[in-house]
Amino acid sequence: MDFDPQAFDFLEAAKSWALVCGASTAIIVAVSLFYSVVTRGSGGFSAWGSEVLGILSDLFSLSPRRVLALTQLTFREAVRRRALLVFVVFAVLFMFAGWFLSASTLAPEFQVKVYVTFVLRAISWLILPLVLLLACWGLPEDIRQRSLHTVVTKPARRLEIVLGRMFGFACVGTLVLVVMAGVGWGWIRRQLPEVAQKQLTCRQPVFGDLTFRDREGNQTTAGINVGDVWEFYSYIEGATKARAVWKFTGIDASVLDSEGNLRLENRFQAFRSYKGDMRRSLYYQLVLVNPETGLRVPTSLKTVNEFRGRTDLIPRTLPRIAEATTTEEAEETGGKPYDLIEDLVSKQPAVDPETKKPLVDPTTNELLYPAGTLIVEALCIDPGQYLGMARPHLFIRMPDRSFEEGYVKAVVGIEMMLLLVIILGVTVSTFVKGPVATLLTFCIVVIGQTAREFMQRLVNNQEQGGGVLESIYRLLYHMNPTTELPAGQATNVMRFVDGTLVDLMWLVFNIIPDFSFFNRALAFLANGFDVSFDNAVLPGVAIMLAYFFPCVLLGYLCLRSRELEAK
Amino acid sequence: MNQFTSQQRKLVYLGGMLLLLIPIIFLGLPLDRKGRTSGQIAKLRQELDLGESDLGDIDPSGAAMNLVLLGLRGVAANILWVQADEQKSHKDWAAMRATTESIIRLQPHYTKVWEYNGWNLAYNVSVEWDAVPDRYFWVKEGGKFLQKGVNRNRNSSELLWHSGRIYGSKIGISDEARFFRKFFRVDPDPKFNGGPDPEWNERDDDNYIVAKDWYTRANDVEAQGNRERIMDRTIFRSYPARSQLDYASALQKFGFNEEYDRQVAGRTLSEAEQEVLQVEVRQKLQNQTQVAWKDGFEEWTQKYGQELFNVDWRGNLVTIRLEMGEEEIKDAGKTPDERGLLRAAVLAYQNMQNYRYWRTRALCEAEPETAEAHWLLFAALEEYRKQNLDTAREHAIRVMTLLEGIFKKYPELEVEEDLVEDGMTAIFIWQYAYKLSGERHPTDFPLKAIYDSRQEQLVEYQRLFNRRFLPY
Repeated sequence: MDFDPQAFDFLEAAKSWALVCGASTAIIVAVSLFYSVVTRGSGGFSAWGSEVLGILSDLFSLSPRRVLALTQLTFREAVRRRALLVFVVFAVLFMFAGWFLSASTLAPEFQVKVYVTFVLRAISWLILPLVLLLACWGLPEDIRQRSLHTVVTKPARRLEIVLGRMFGFACVGTLVLVVMAGVGWGWIRRQLPEVAQKQLTCRQPVFGDLTFRDREGNQTTAGINVGDVWEFYSYIEGATKARAVWKFTGIDASVLDSEGNLRLENRFQAFRSYKGDMRRSLYYQLVLVNPETGLRVPTSLKTVNEFRGRTDLIPRTLPRIAEATTTEEAEETGGKPYDLIEDLVSKQPAVDPETKKPLVDPTTNELLYPAGTLIVEALCIDPGQYLGMARPHLFIRMPDRSFEEGYVKAVVGIEMMLLLVIILGVTVSTFVKGPVATLLTFCIVVIGQTAREFMQRLVNNQEQGGGVLESIYRLLYHMNPTTELPAGQATNVMRFVDGTLVDLMWLVFNIIPDFSFFNRALAFLANGFDVSFDNAVLPGVAIMLAYFFPCVLLGYLCLRSRELEAK
Repeated sequence: MNQFTSQQRKLVYLGGMLLLLIPIIFLGLPLDRKGRTSGQIAKLRQELDLGESDLGDIDPSGAAMNLVLLGLRGVAANILWVQADEQKSHKDWAAMRATTESIIRLQPHYTKVWEYNGWNLAYNVSVEWDAVPDRYFWVKEGGKFLQKGVNRNRNSSELLWHSGRIYGSKIGISDEARFFRKFFRVDPDPKFNGGPDPEWNERDDDNYIVAKDWYTRANDVEAQGNRERIMDRTIFRSYPARSQLDYASALQKFGFNEEYDRQVAGRTLSEAEQEVLQVEVRQKLQNQTQVAWKDGFEEWTQKYGQELFNVDWRGNLVTIRLEMGEEEIKDAGKTPDERGLLRAAVLAYQNMQNYRYWRTRALCEAEPETAEAHWLLFAALEEYRKQNLDTAREHAIRVMTLLEGIFKKYPELEVEEDLVEDGMTAIFIWQYAYKLSGERHPTDFPLKAIYDSRQEQLVEYQRLFNRRFLPY
């Protein structure tokens, strides 16, 4: 698994959205009032007031019936424009897709990833251009052909026209998506080799927080990098005090399976600094720790099953096994075995042994080990060898859900992306013509999909080489990004201009939606996980809605102020 | 604008199109049934072997993809290359494999693409996996990928050579060679029911023999004028013979255990049955190894050694063969200078290939004494394992005596590590047999000079000795 699903903080996001929207509305109101007063003098107040009243009147007298009628009209128009021809391309693609997916020699779990990724990507890539073109050309074409004139002469408000367009295109997009998703599902089921079909499942993981201990046993945030370019994995050294420590909270008997086992699945990596015994993989051991009592219960040694993962069934009743790599003798060798939930999950928050006060995280001031915490430590047994992991590489596996359930959620993720593109396309088309609207929306989608990371580095001044002017200067003078620029007025001017442009970029960065959230569902499903509502579905819905309200308002205002005769 | 009506304009466009079509049709006329044509493009394509079918098997899906992409093939290929690289660094092997397939559909006749990706799969991806069966799977993937490349580019001697290299050096001399060679005949994938993967080892042969076939094919294609640009031609053409020598060497090193395991095939044998089988296998292997060395000598000296090479030696173009003797040099060189030049060129190229060493090695290994020494060493190890110390000591001293004779006869083999390691192993057995019997070994013994000269590497030889007792 090469991604780390971070929780989406909906409340924080909603708060920040309300703040931005509120501030923007206040600015717009103030600027429009100021402009009205400056251009019309004392009559500006009343003109502004009547305009605001008109807008409010439009907003509050919205007719669902008229919106529905306009939605139907948009739908019929789209069908008439042969939008559904996209099915032909889709059919052709799937007829020959098998030629390109010659992955039958791969292990079943890898085949699933290839097939699922292909289907969901193909659906996204076919459907997005379709809705983008429909949404961007709908209104401009109506205006060009003057068919909108007949609509606006009816008692239909411009807000309803914008909404009708959005809903109509959304219906077309959804219809196409549903058909494609159905065919795609059938294709996966039919095309995927039988042996790989068993891998079509949705694991339900409970992830913990990961910290490390180095070879001396000191707490660290990361392990060793063994030379990977991608610093996702951290490694711990074998036969030392190095540990990867996962903290699981909210643990009770409900995490056990029907047979009373705790299913701990891992995706550890092995790195050998010497060949060693090639007949077996590296050994690891899991140690369960109660943070409240400090009780440590090791489990038996297991070998790493690299890139495929291994599910360890930890029985509720734990026998007493000596912890590998510890020199002291096991304290007790007989007696009652431990109970996983009773003995190893904390009942009270862990306290400092000296002050007897609960341990708190100094940065967040929250309890470090609240009640219901289970600590799982992983250690590498083989001396001189290394085990690699990242946060999602050890999790509690709850009962699996069906693949179909996850598939539907992934399709919902695509639907949210599709709706967002429609919202953006229709909004943009209210103030520019078709080709420009297409280009603008396309740019927003492409930047939102591919360039946000780069923009983030740029606006946070983490990108070496400076802004536009500085980069050009460095290119012309063959200066590498770390060389200091010569001090002087010209450099100051250059930096000032670059700084201003980066500030503008900051604005653009915060306006352009982050499309990576929509791809999360695909990553979950392709890796055999249930699409998490909090991590993948909710962000998609939230982003779509966050753009929906301001975009509808913007589109409405633009259309309201637009002179329709000007084609 | 102009005074044409819309219809007239369309007729003018049509006329223009027809006019342009005439030269295109004339130049591009396809071949008729007899392979003749007046189309210049088809003629040139035929002359230069540039047609899709001339280059190799046709891949309709790749051709369709290239057509659909119009002029964006380069852009698409670049994006895919970046993706494949990122997937590799993210260890997303399934996606990387799929991307690789897409790349070769866009660039089916760019041999470097096949070479790079084949190497990537067989070497770089394989080594990322911890379990040896997984590593072997990726070696196979790389090899099969290259073979697909060979089918699409049948005139590429380089791809054939690279395929041979995966069979030869990747399977034969990597750190996991013991396992890879075993898996080559007994694939770890249960779907092959304990046999080889037929797509990978069709004839259930030794990896070096299969490598030799590929190298021979590479030489055949190269001889047809499809020059390779990997290495000097004299080295390139040595590979089939070298593979035969490597085969003989591997038989000597791993052959007994491999053959014995294959014969046992998971059965449980009694001690007596085991001994009978061991003798049978030993006799079979002794004979087979001797024949392999003889064949190696023949191929090295009679085939490869007799090939003519035009080489540039100190600014002079000379024709040499590596087995060129003094008589031939005298015949070929008209003046003493020319003869000197030829002599120097032959010597230099022999040094470059380590030619004389391999000739001597093959000659020596084909001798009955050498074969006897090797097999007696096996017997000594077996006896030592069973703690039959007296017999082990007898076998070991005999091995030491035989090897001393061989080193006297072929002193240049004193740098031959395999042979020296055998000698050191025999010395260890001999010394430990004394030690375990509570006796002191004599201070003078055969191979003492070699033993003394290797004192600094004693720990390493000891490690290699211990490894011989690991379960195979």
